[in-house]
Amino acid sequence: MSQDKKNQVSRRQFLNYTLTGVGGFMAAGMLAPMVRFAIDPVLQPKAQGDYVSTGKSVDELTSEPQRVDFTIRQVDAWYESDVSKVAWVYKQEDGSILALSPTCTHLGCFVGWNDNENYPNMFYCPCHDGLYEKSGKNVPGTPPTAPLAAFEHDVKDGILYLGKAIPREEA
Amino acid sequence: MKWNKKDMQKYVQAKEYVDTAIIPLVPFSFNKPDEEQIGLTFQNEVLELFVDRVERDFTGRVFQLPSYTYIMSNQLEHEVDRLNAFYQQINEQPFKHTFYLTFDSSWKRVEPKLEGNLIWTPVMKDGDLTSKETQKIVMDQIKQITELIRNYWI
Ligand code: FES
Repeated sequence: MSQDKKNQVSRRQFLNYTLTGVGGFMAAGMLAPMVRFAIDPVLQPKAQGDYVSTGKSVDELTSEPQRVDFTIRQVDAWYESDVSKVAWVYKQEDGSILALSPTCTHLGCFVGWNDNENYPNMFYCPCHDGLYEKSGKNVPGTPPTAPLAAFEHDVKDGILYLGKAIPREEA
Repeated sequence: MKWNKKDMQKYVQAKEYVDTAIIPLVPFSFNKPDEEQIGLTFQNEVLELFVDRVERDFTGRVFQLPSYTYIMSNQLEHEVDRLNAFYQQINEQPFKHTFYLTFDSSWKRVEPKLEGNLIWTPVMKDGDLTSKETQKIVMDQIKQITELIRNYWI
């Protein structure tokens, strides 16, 4: 009997604790965003489109496209992750830098520079034989219908920084 | 392409360009000595890296299907039928090549009964994916696999 009673109390206590717990969470859930609003500017993630360092010195760039690897922080609705990216970078005739995205504008495969003996000094896509000129301009008659996108870029202290890849319309 | 909504929507518009399906074959066990269990999960991570990389480089031509998971065993005879059933269904779509990617050599024994192409490569028993040497080995292997797949396309 006493055993029984003890049990009941503890059951009630249990319920009590649980409800308090749930209530607590709810309160925290409601408060947290408000707190965030209050102090937000500091916590605000950096705006997208920021430039990231590639660690590549611009002195090393030549007129020959070279592969530059870099990492960006990608944030979407569910995940935050480091994504490794690649750019084909070279100095154009006028000395300006062009950083091309290696993503084929047809269906997204990785486009290589000068790696197919049949198409020297061109960007070649192994998936469906897509071709691009050195400028990134797509060759008509091959599947891609737009030039390779070009990364926004910047140079700080001699180091190449890359931003968003901007799609380009056919010239 | 991957087995998700975004890619599936792309796929249905571009089926004729996506002629290659890849299925990772993943052995599962939870009753082996601890060491072995750890090794197995390491190998699974490497396999994921492999498939991920292949899918990323060839995303417009390769469809990465969900992994085929099975209880680890030397007797894979009864898995063959199940896997072949997957193959049958995949090939109702206009795929030309179906690859199974695995580190489990037991598949070698039943390979003649498999429809589709088995790509088996050896793997380290265990390792550290953050170490430079391991990364290099893995990258080299990935390169070989990509070469192999490209050879089927020629
Ligand atoms: S994805 Fe590059 S040509 Fe089709």
